[in-house]
Order: sequence, then C-alpha cells, then structure tokens
Amino acid sequence: MLHTRIIDIKIEKIKSSNAEDFIRSSKYGASIIFTGTVRNINENKEVTGITYDSHDEMVLKSFEEIYKETGDKLDIKDKAVFIEHIKGYVGLGETSIIIAVACKHRDQAYVLSRYIIEEIKKRSPIWKKEHYKNEDSEWLKGNPINAN
Amino acid sequence: MKIKLELFGASRDFSNKDHIEFQIKEKTEIKDFRKEIISYLEKNFKDNENFKKIVATSAFCSEDNNIISDNYIISKDQKIGIIPPIGGG
Repeated sequence: MLHTRIIDIKIEKIKSSNAEDFIRSSKYGASIIFTGTVRNINENKEVTGITYDSHDEMVLKSFEEIYKETGDKLDIKDKAVFIEHIKGYVGLGETSIIIAVACKHRDQAYVLSRYIIEEIKKRSPIWKKEHYKNEDSEWLKGNPINAN
Repeated sequence: MKIKLELFGASRDFSNKDHIEFQIKEKTEIKDFRKEIISYLEKNFKDNENFKKIVATSAFCSEDNNIISDNYIISKDQKIGIIPPIGGG
C-alpha cells in the first residue's frame, strides 16, 4: 500500500497526521514516521529557509520505483508506505519530507524507512536553494544523475 | 526543430521563464544539444563558468519522464527537461 504526493506549500500544508492515518492498521506491529526539517546551520552558514524545486512527474515515478524495490530487493512485501515531499519555500524547523512506514516487525520498519530516504536523496529530482541570514541564497550542489 | 528546454533547480537561473526555446538541426544528439545550451549561456552570461558547469554535470529527461543518454537522438519538436545534480529530503 503506497501513498505519494508532492505538496505545493503555497497551496496546502504537509501534515504528519495524514501519514499516521494512512499507515495505521492492526496487522502491522511496527511503524516509523520520519520527518526531514530545515536546520539553522549548513556548512557554517546561518540558514533562514530553503526553497525546494521538483520535477513532479519524475519524483513520483521514482517514489513508486523505490517502493517496488523494497519488495523485490529487501523482500518486505506486506507494508504501508506514505511519502510526501514539499515544493516551495519552507522556513527553519519546518517539514520538507515525511516518510511513514508500517510493517509487521521493527527490524523491517527501520530498514524500510532508511532505504527509502537514502534512495530519494540519490535518485529523486528534487533541488534545494538555501537562503541565508545575510540575504544571499544558493542552490546546493547535489549529486549528478548518471544517464549513460 | 523547436525544443522547449524545461528548467529545474540551479538551471532556473538561466532565464526569467521556466524554459528556454531552441532551434536545432534535425536528428541532434543530446551531447550536441548540451553544446547548444552552453553556446546560449556564453552569449547571455559571458563569464559565468558556474552555469556552464551546471550544464556539463546535468542529465536530461524526455517528455515521457525518462532520463535520456548523451546518444539519444532528438528527432521531433519536443520538450526536454534539464536535470542538474539533485539532492532533496
């Protein structure tokens, strides 16, 4: 069971209560809700917020591929996975991503949650522009996608 | 052929719009289209080496949202997305 969405922060909010509702089931004994938030210092610069950009269709496609891999590669078949990522500007302490997972046992839940966030960072076309206290801003370098 | 290059991430600084239009020769490969983009940047942002570096390290995606290789041949008018190095979460 999978839920994925890109949340345009100008239009709506990202809510962990939606994630809790989606993964809640008496057949699962373990659940983890991971949230990524904007922190105040990055590489010794005082951050005030981040603007996220996204290629929505490709991001959603990558979420579906990652979900499928958790069945094929990690052999975690019976699970609920909720992934939402925002786009637009978020300030300090605000949430940029929620990954909620539920499955039968805790060892699977930790593996599943970690696998999803690490793969999103490697493969999902999402970009961050950091805004600093001195009013500068900068696109973060990121990891190139290998096409060849 | 007319190509609409859709801009994402750091490449959004290449234009005030969310895309750049290019006229290119028929059957242009992505590796040659990459050179066209660099020429556009040299014309419009002369000394900005960082912009050229972004293009050199970017991937590209087709209209049907697949990453395409440097050997992919553009054979019709279409939208192509530029995918600079990524990092969300």
